[in-house]
Amino acid sequence: MGLTRKYWKGIEELKETPEFIKHKEQEFPSQQTIEQFLADENLAETSTARRDFLKFLGFSVAAATLAACEAPVTKAVPYVVKPENVTPGMPTWYASTYYDGNSYASILVKTREGRPIFIKGNHEYGFTKGGTNPQIVASVLGLYDRERLTGPKANKKDVSWSSVDKEISSAIKSAKKVTLLSNTVISPSMKRAIAEMTTALNGEGGSKFEFVQYDAVSYSAIREANLKNFGAEIIPGYDFSKAKTIVSLDADFLSSWLLPTEFAVQYGQTRNPEGNMSKHFQFESVMTVTGSNADYRGMAKPSELAGILAFLINGLGGNAGIPVAVPASSKLAAEEALKSLKKTGKDSLVVCGSNNVGLQILTNKLNDRLKSYGNTIDLTNTIELFYGNDKKVQKFVKDVVSGKGPDVLLMLGVNPVYTLPNGDDFGKALSKITTVSFASHEDETASLCKYICPDHHALEAWNDYQAKKGQYAIAQPTIRPLHDTASALESLLVWGGKAKRGGKDSAVAYDYIASTFKLNAPTGDFAFTTHNSCMDVTLAPATLIFTDATASNLPKASDLEVSLYQKAGIGTGLHANNPWLQELPDPITKVTWDNYITMNPVTMEKDGYVTTYDQEHGLNTATVTVNGKTVTLPVYPMPGQAIGTIGIALGYGRGANGEKIGKAAYQTKEYGGHDLGENGKPKTIGANVFSFASTVNGNYEYSNSAKIAKAEGVYPIAATQIHHTVMGRHSIVRETTLDIFANRDKEAYNPAHKLEKLNQEGHHEERPVSEFDLWDAHPVEKIGHRWGMTIDLSSCIGCGTCLVACQAENNVPVVGKDEVRRGREMHWLRIDRYFSTEEEAAVGTKKDKDNFSYDKAEHAAENPKVVHMPMLCHHCNHAPCETVCPVAATTHSNEGLNQMAYNRCIGTRYCANNCPYKVRRFNWFNYPSYKKFVEVNPAQDDLGRMVLNPDVTVRTRGVMEKCSLCVQRIQATKLVAKKEARVVADGEFATACSDACPTNAIIVGDWNDIKSNIRKSSEDKRAYQALEEVGVKPNIWYKVKVRNEDNNLLDKLQVAEAKVEHKKSHH
Amino acid sequence: MQKEAAIREPLILGHKTYHDITEDVCRPIEDKAPKMWYILFGIALVIGLYGVGAICYLLGTGVGVWGLNKTIGWAWDITNFVWWVGIGHAGTLISAVLLLFRQKWRMAINRSAEAMTIFAVFMAGTFPLIHMGRLWVGYWTLPLPNQFGSLWVNFNSPLLWDVFAISTYLSVSLVFWYIGLIPDFATIRDRAKKPIAKRMYSILSFGWSGRAKHWNRFELVSLVLAGLATPLVFSVHSIVSFDFATSVIPGWHTTIFPPYFVAGAVFSGFAMVQTLLLIMRKAMNLEAYIHTKHVEYMNIVIMVTGSIVGTAYITELFISWYSGVEYEAYAFLNRATGPYWWAYWSMMTCNVISPQLMWIRKLRRSLLFTFFISIVVNIGMWFERYVIIVTSLHRDYLPAAWSMHFPSHIDIAVYIGTIGLFFVFFLLFARFFPVLALNEVKTILKGSGQSYKESPDYHEHH
Repeated sequence: MGLTRKYWKGIEELKETPEFIKHKEQEFPSQQTIEQFLADENLAETSTARRDFLKFLGFSVAAATLAACEAPVTKAVPYVVKPENVTPGMPTWYASTYYDGNSYASILVKTREGRPIFIKGNHEYGFTKGGTNPQIVASVLGLYDRERLTGPKANKKDVSWSSVDKEISSAIKSAKKVTLLSNTVISPSMKRAIAEMTTALNGEGGSKFEFVQYDAVSYSAIREANLKNFGAEIIPGYDFSKAKTIVSLDADFLSSWLLPTEFAVQYGQTRNPEGNMSKHFQFESVMTVTGSNADYRGMAKPSELAGILAFLINGLGGNAGIPVAVPASSKLAAEEALKSLKKTGKDSLVVCGSNNVGLQILTNKLNDRLKSYGNTIDLTNTIELFYGNDKKVQKFVKDVVSGKGPDVLLMLGVNPVYTLPNGDDFGKALSKITTVSFASHEDETASLCKYICPDHHALEAWNDYQAKKGQYAIAQPTIRPLHDTASALESLLVWGGKAKRGGKDSAVAYDYIASTFKLNAPTGDFAFTTHNSCMDVTLAPATLIFTDATASNLPKASDLEVSLYQKAGIGTGLHANNPWLQELPDPITKVTWDNYITMNPVTMEKDGYVTTYDQEHGLNTATVTVNGKTVTLPVYPMPGQAIGTIGIALGYGRGANGEKIGKAAYQTKEYGGHDLGENGKPKTIGANVFSFASTVNGNYEYSNSAKIAKAEGVYPIAATQIHHTVMGRHSIVRETTLDIFANRDKEAYNPAHKLEKLNQEGHHEERPVSEFDLWDAHPVEKIGHRWGMTIDLSSCIGCGTCLVACQAENNVPVVGKDEVRRGREMHWLRIDRYFSTEEEAAVGTKKDKDNFSYDKAEHAAENPKVVHMPMLCHHCNHAPCETVCPVAATTHSNEGLNQMAYNRCIGTRYCANNCPYKVRRFNWFNYPSYKKFVEVNPAQDDLGRMVLNPDVTVRTRGVMEKCSLCVQRIQATKLVAKKEARVVADGEFATACSDACPTNAIIVGDWNDIKSNIRKSSEDKRAYQALEEVGVKPNIWYKVKVRNEDNNLLDKLQVAEAKVEHKKSHH
Repeated sequence: MQKEAAIREPLILGHKTYHDITEDVCRPIEDKAPKMWYILFGIALVIGLYGVGAICYLLGTGVGVWGLNKTIGWAWDITNFVWWVGIGHAGTLISAVLLLFRQKWRMAINRSAEAMTIFAVFMAGTFPLIHMGRLWVGYWTLPLPNQFGSLWVNFNSPLLWDVFAISTYLSVSLVFWYIGLIPDFATIRDRAKKPIAKRMYSILSFGWSGRAKHWNRFELVSLVLAGLATPLVFSVHSIVSFDFATSVIPGWHTTIFPPYFVAGAVFSGFAMVQTLLLIMRKAMNLEAYIHTKHVEYMNIVIMVTGSIVGTAYITELFISWYSGVEYEAYAFLNRATGPYWWAYWSMMTCNVISPQLMWIRKLRRSLLFTFFISIVVNIGMWFERYVIIVTSLHRDYLPAAWSMHFPSHIDIAVYIGTIGLFFVFFLLFARFFPVLALNEVKTILKGSGQSYKESPDYHEHH
C-alpha cells in the first residue's frame, strides 16, 4: 500500500548506492518463506504506518463482512443452443383442451422457459369461447404436486414399466373377465382403443371385456328421460344465450351443472341490460352461484320441484299428470316465471339439476310445451359428457361387492372408493381382484390397487376430445413429462398388443391420435387442429320427436331434506390437494378449507345454533344422519336455504386413511405440520358425503331425507367475509330494475353524489363530488396511458375464476385455514358478496331512510337478493395509501397505477389502514419459507415453485402487497407495441382477472384512448365509482347491477321519491 | 427570596432545614436498598424480560404473531405507543410549562415526572419500531443521503412527522432532565464516601462547583429549555394525533384530534405521576415534600384535562350525527353499540365520569382515592386509544371487509413487558438518582416551608 506511484525514498535510491541495494532486497522478501520472514529479527523494527494499518484493518473487516453476507449460490443453467420457440423471458402459448371428467374447456396454456405456469380460456376457438372455471385455471398447479406418482407401482413398490406391462398383459390374457371402469370417455382415440380392445378380447359375441363409464356426479337421469321422451339416450345441447326466460330447478348451470364453462359465457351474453336481458328464475334449496344471480329465486325443497314444474306445465295448458303444489317460499317466483314463460314461449329454457328421471321427464315436458326444442335446446349438437349410466354402474358395483366382479379391473379417471355411496364396501372387495389404476396419486382407490400405472398430467399429454358432437378438440402437451408416467391411452394400446412402450418421449399416443383423426376426418389438417385446438364437425340434423312419458318415482318429501352440491373450487373433490382451490372462498358463503351444513339462519336461531362467527367464535356442529350413515360438521348460516332443508358440499373428506393425495389435502396445525387424528392419520378437510346420495330410484340422486342433531363443540370456520350485508350503503353497491333502467334517466338509479358548494353569487349550490378536490389533479389524464377497469355488477356471476387466475398470475401465497380464519388471506382480488336485508329495497338501498335499523340491517333476509362485487386495488389517482407511507414505497405511476416498491417497504401497514377499500395485503410471515406454510404454500417446495410466474416478484416477510393491475402484462404489451412502432391497441392488454372472466364483466384498457372500450364503459349511464365521495378518484368503475324484476319498493325510492327531492332542490 | 401568601398551604411540611432536605433526598441513594426494592426490581425485571423475549420472537417470526389482520393493521401496538407517549407527557408539562408559569409546587414532582416521561417515551418508541414488518430497514424513515439517487422519505406522511416529533421530544426532555440533575449530582458527589460512587457522580455532575456563575447559567439554560420544550408538549401529541386525523378512515378523520389528544395525554400523564409518586413518597419517606396539596393540584389538572377529553368525546359524537356523513355516523354508533361497546363504555366511565369526582374536595384530597382514580384513568386512556384505533378500523367503509380484533398472547406479553421494563428503569432511577430536585426544593424552603410560614418572623413581614 502507499506505493502506487514511484517515489524515491531518498537520494540513495536514485543513485542506487550499494548500501541501498543491500537493504532493498530485504524490502521485497519475495524469496523468503513466511517462516523466514517472521523469524527476521529486524521485523520488529519495521513498522506499518498507522494509515496503512487502518487501511488493512478496514479492508479486512469489510472483506470479512462481505464474505459473511454472501448470498447462497443459485445456479442458472443457460441454454447452450436456443430451443426453437423458446425465448427466455418470452412466454409461449399453447392452444389445448381441458377435460377431467367433470369440467371441459378449450384453453390456452402459457409456458415460460418450458414450464406451464398459467391457464386461461381460449376466446378464439372452441365452443366454450373463453369460459373456464376455477378448477381448470388452478389445474396447472396440480402438475407440480409433490406427491404425484413418479412411476408405475406394483404392490406399493416402484417397478419398471416393462415388468408392469408384462404382468398386466398376462393377467388380462388369463382373465375370465376384464372390466374397464372409467369416467366418461370423450376421447375418440380412447374410444377407438377401447373398441379395439373389446374386439380383441371378446371376439365374436364374447363378454370377457366390459367397459363401464362412471361419473363421480351422475347426470344419468337426463339421458334416461330423453330415452323415454325421444328414444335417444342423449344430453342435448343448451343455448342459454338464446333464452329470454331461463327457469332452473336446482341446476347450478353457472358453476357446476353439466357444462358451466359454456353456459356461463352464454348466460353472460343475456345479462346486458342495454340489449335483450333474459329473465332468470331459480328454484333451489341451497343457494348456488346460479341462484344468487337469479332475478327471482324461489326456495324449494328437492321434493317440491315436481309440484313447481307441474304448476308451470299446467299453467301453460299442459297436463303434468301430478298434482300442482307450489311452496309459499316459491310462490312469487313461480307465478312470475309462468308469466314470463307465457310471454317468451320458445325463447325459453327450462333446466333441472336433479338426477331424478321423473323430474327430468317433467322438465322435458315443460320444454316441449314451450317448444324450446330446436331453439334453445339443440338435439343435434348433443353434449357428449357424462355417459355414466347409474343402473349399469350400480349393477357393476353390486357384482364387485358381492364377489362376482371381474378378475381384472382397470380404473381410469375414477376414484370409486371415495365417490361411491358404498365406496368402503367396494374398496374392501378390490383385494380379490387384479386391480390396475391409472391414477396420478395413490388415492383412496389407487392405494388399494395392485398396480398403479400413473397417467400423464393433462398438461403433459396428447389427447383428443369430443365434448359436444359438433366439435373435435385436441389437447397437446406443454411440457415433457416430469416423471416416469405414461399416457393411459398408450398403456391400453401396449396391453392390447397394439403398440410398444415409447418411454419418456413416446410418440405412441400422438401417432394413434393423429391416425384416429385421419380415420374420422380424412381431409382435415391435424396440424391445424393443434394450432386452434379444435375443429368443428358438420352434423346432420337430428330427427327426434318428443313423446310423452309419465313421471314416476319423484323425490319423496320428508321433514328434513339434504341437498348435496358442488362448490366452485372443489367440485367433486378431484382437486382436493390443490391449495389454490381449497383457499378459494365459496362464492356464496366465503368459507375456505371446509365443507359444512348449510341451514337457513331462521331455523338455526329457532334451534339454538349460533348464526354469527368470526376469528375466535366458530360455529356449532351437528350430526347429520342419512342412509344410516352419520357425519358431523359445522352448521353454516346460509340465508336463502329453503326451510326444512340442509345442504352439504361434495368433494370434501378426501384421503380418509391418510392416502398420499397431496399435502394440501389435509388439515394443518397452528404452527405447521399435519393435524393428526385419533387414528394417527392426518385429519381430512371436511367430510365426505357421497354416501348420502339416494339410490332408491335406481339413480344416484343428490338429495335425500335426513336427520340432524346438534352436537357438542364449536368448530372454527375460516371465512374471508364475516359481515354479509352492505348496511344500506348506497355508494358501494348500486342496484336497479330493468324497468327503471330502461325508462328513467341516470339520475333515478345512478345519481351522482353531490355536495354543497358556494357559487359565485355566494349561494349554496349542489355540485357533483368530482368537482371537489383537495389536491392538484394527478397528471394522468390526457397524457400517455391511463389504465383503468370497469366491472359490470350485472354480468359478474361471482364464480371466482378471476380470483384463481389472479393468484396464479401474481404468485399470491396460500396461507392455509388458520391464517384465513385470522383474516389474513392474501388474495389481491376478492369478491365481496352482499345479501339484501329486510331493511333494504335492493342491496344498498334503504327502504326507509328515517327509520333505518342498523341492527336489523346486519342480518340477511330469509331469501335475500345477492350482489357479487369483485374488489381489488382501485389505483386511486388521489390514493390515500400513497400519502401516508413514510418511505414512499407506494407511489403513483404516470400511467395512473398505484404501484408498490416491495424493496422499499418497511411494513408500517399505515397504507392498508388508510385504504377505504381494504385491498392491501400484508406479508405477516415469510410465506415461502416459514414452517407454518410448508403444507399449503406451493412456493415452499422446489417442484411447486415451478408454477411461479417469473415476471412477478415473490414477496418477502414484512412487506405490503396488492393488485398491480397486472403491471407485468402492461409492460409486456407496451414492449410489443414499441417494437412494432405503434401505440397499444385497445383490447391488446388484459389483466389476469379480465382474461379469466367468463361473462366479460371486467373490461380493462387505456382510459386516455377515447375510443377504447374502457372509456366508453366508464362513461356509460350505469358506471359509477364505489365510495366516490371519499374523493380518492379511483381508476376503477363499477356498473349498476340491473335485475330483471318488478320491485315496487325500489320504484318508489328511485322514481317517486327521487323526483320529490329533485323538485325540492329547485326551490 | 420569594414570599408568598401565608394562607397558601405550605409546600414543605414539617420543620425542615436545608440539611434535612439534602439528607432526605440522599438517604435512599447512600443507604443500602431495602429488601422491598429488590423484590420489586426482580418482579419488574422478570416481566420486562418476558416482554423482551416476546419481542425477539416477534422479530424472528413476523408481525403475524400478533392478532392483526387484513382489516385491522394496527391494534395493540399503536394503542400502546400512543398510551405510552401520552403518559410521557406530564414530565415536560410539569417541568417546562409549570416552570414558565412559576408554579413552585412542581419542584417536588418534576424530577420523577421527567424520569417517568423519558422512560415512557422509551417504551413508546419501542412500538413503532417493532410494529414494522422490516425493522432492519427502519432507518429508511430518516432522511439520510443515500446512493439510490433521489430516493427520499415522504414528507407527506404523518408517520415521518412522528419520527421527528418523538425523537425531538425525547432528546429535549432528556437534556432538560439532565441539566436539572447536575447540581443534585454534585451534592451527592460531595457527600459520597465510596470511591466508585464518588467517581461516577463526579462524572455525572460535570464538575459542578456551585459557583454563582454556575447557578446563573443553570437558571438561564433551564429557562431556555423550558421555552423550547413548551411547544413540544403540544406538538408531540398533536403530531401523534395526525397519524389518525389526516387519514380517510371514519373515526380517525377528525379535526378535533390535536387538542383532544394533548389534553388526553396530560390527563393520563398526571394520572401516571400520581400512581408513581403516591407509592414513592411512602417508600422513600418523602411525605413532607409530596403531600396532599401536591396531590390536590395534580387532581385539579386531571379534572380539567379530563373535562376537556369528555367534551371532546361528546363533540365527536354530536358532529358524527350532525355531519350527516353515513360512514362517520355509523362509526360512532358502532363505537357505542357495536361489538366493541364494552371498550367504549369502559373508556367513557374511566375518562369522563371518574375525573368529575374530583370536584369534591374531600375526594381530591384523599390519597387512597387519588391512587385508585389514577389507575382508572390510565385504564381508560388505554381504552380510548384502543377504541379510536380498533373500532374505527374494524368497521370502516366496505362491510365485506369488516372484521374483529382479538389479541394474541404475544400482544399481551409485549404490552405487559413494556410495563415491566418501565418499572425496571424507574426503580433504577429511584435507587441511584435524586428523586427530588433537592437544590430546587431548597429555593422554596423559606417561602413555602411550613416552619417558615408558621414562624412569627414570617408573619411580621406581611
